[in-house]
Amino acid sequence: MNERIVSELIESFGKLFMAGIKVSIPLTLASFSTGLAIAFLVALVQIAKIPVFRFLVRVYVWIIRCTPMIVQLFIVYFGLPNIGIRFSSFVSAWIVMSLSVGAYCSETVRAAIESVPVGQLEACYCDGLTFWQAMIHVIVPQALRTAFPPLSNSIIGLVKDTSLAYNVALVEILATAQRIASRTYDYFWLYLEAGLIYLIFCSVLTVVQRKAEAALERRR
Amino acid sequence: MFSLINVNKKFGGNVVLNNVSLDVNRGDVVAILGPSGSGKTTLLRCAGYLTKADSGTLVIGGERYDMKKISSKDLRNYRRRVGFVFQTFNLYGNKTALGNVTLGLRVSQKMPKEEAEKIGKSLLERVGLADRMDYYPSKLSGGQQQRVAIARALATNPEVIFFDEPTSALDPELTGEVLTVIKQLADEGRTMIVVTHEMEFARKVATRVVFMEDGEIVEENTAKEFFENPRKERTREFIFKSSTWSQNGETGGESE
Repeated sequence: MNERIVSELIESFGKLFMAGIKVSIPLTLASFSTGLAIAFLVALVQIAKIPVFRFLVRVYVWIIRCTPMIVQLFIVYFGLPNIGIRFSSFVSAWIVMSLSVGAYCSETVRAAIESVPVGQLEACYCDGLTFWQAMIHVIVPQALRTAFPPLSNSIIGLVKDTSLAYNVALVEILATAQRIASRTYDYFWLYLEAGLIYLIFCSVLTVVQRKAEAALERRR
Repeated sequence: MFSLINVNKKFGGNVVLNNVSLDVNRGDVVAILGPSGSGKTTLLRCAGYLTKADSGTLVIGGERYDMKKISSKDLRNYRRRVGFVFQTFNLYGNKTALGNVTLGLRVSQKMPKEEAEKIGKSLLERVGLADRMDYYPSKLSGGQQQRVAIARALATNPEVIFFDEPTSALDPELTGEVLTVIKQLADEGRTMIVVTHEMEFARKVATRVVFMEDGEIVEENTAKEFFENPRKERTREFIFKSSTWSQNGETGGESE
C-alpha cells in the first residue's frame, strides 16, 4: 500500500461515510419504522382474528418472504414504469424494504405479543378497556420489551441490506466505493473500506441496542 | 342486589356449572368454598364475563344481563360496577403501582390525569402502600402486588368485588396483609364474593358461606351456622378435613 492509496482512502472515507449518513442510514430508519408499523398491524390483525384481513396479511407475508428482495426491487424500480408508475431509487428501496421488514418482523411481534400472559388482557377487560385499548396501553409495550433483541437483529440486517439498493442506481455506500474504484482501479482497498463503514454503523447500533435494553430493564 | 340465576357452563362434555344460582345482598361478604374442580372459580369468571357461560342471567342493582351474550356497551357499564381481583394479581408489568390503579379510570372513563391520580393515591394509601406508588410490580412483594390489585379493583368504586383465591399464590407470611385489607373492606360494608381456601378467613370475615362441589351449590348458610351446624354430611367432612390434618388418622389424613 503506497502513499497514493493511503491519501485516496482517507479522502474516500469521508465520501463513503457521508453516503452512509445521507442515504443508507435514512433508508434504514425510514424502512424500519414503516416496516415495524406494518409488522404490528399484521400481528394484531392475526391475533384479533379479523376475518378477511387475516387472510390478506397471510398472503402478503407469504409472498414477501418467499421471493428475493432484489427481485422485488427490480419489479418496483424497473418493472412498474412499464405500467406507468415511477418511483425514485430511494422510494423504491424504501417501499420494498419496508414490506420486507413488515413481513419478517410480524412473526417476531406476534410471538412477543402472545408471550404476554393472558391475565394481563383479562385485567384490562376488568378495568373496562377494549381489546385495542389493552393492546396499546398494556400488551404491546410489554411485547416490545420481549421483541427488542430480535428486532435489533432485524435493523442491523437492514443496514447491510441497503447495499442491495445499489442495483437500482441508489448512490449509497457501496455505489460510492464502486464509483471511486472504477476510476482508480483500487477495488480491493475501496471495497474493504466500504465493509469497514458498514462495520462502524452496525457496531454503533449494537452499542445502542445494549444501552436501550438496560434502560428498558430499569423500567419494570 | 346482585344475583346469578341458573348459570350453566360446560367445557367440552364436562359439566362445570350445573344450574347454579346465587343471591347476594348489599354488604354481604360471601365466601365460596369447595374442593378444586368444584366450579367455584369458573362461576366467578362467568360473573366477571371472563368466561362466557352457556346460559344464565345476572342481575345487578335491578339491571339484568344475559351471561352468554352481552352488548359491548352493557359490558362496559357492567364492568364499571364490579371489580375483579385475580389469584395471580395480573398487575400491568409496564405500569407503576399508581399507573395500575389509574389506567382504567384514564383510558376507559377518560378521566383527567390529576383527578385519576388523586383517586389512585388515596386508594393506595388505604391499602397501606403510600410509599410504593412509583414502584413497578416486579419490585413489589406478592402481598404488596395483591394490595395494589385490590386498589385497582376499587378504582371505579364498584358495587360488588370478586376475589378469585386472592391469597393462594402468596407466601403464608404475606396472606395476612392481604386478608387484613379485605377485612377492612368488609367492615366498610363492601359487597364481596370471595373464592377462597382460607377457612379461618371465611369463618371470621364472611357473612355467608357457599359450599360448592361438582358444579353445584351443596350448602349455603350464614358463616356462623355453616361452620357450627353444617347440615350436609359432605360439608361436615370438608370443614373437618380442611381445618385439621394431623389430629385424626381415620379420615385418611389427606389435605389439599
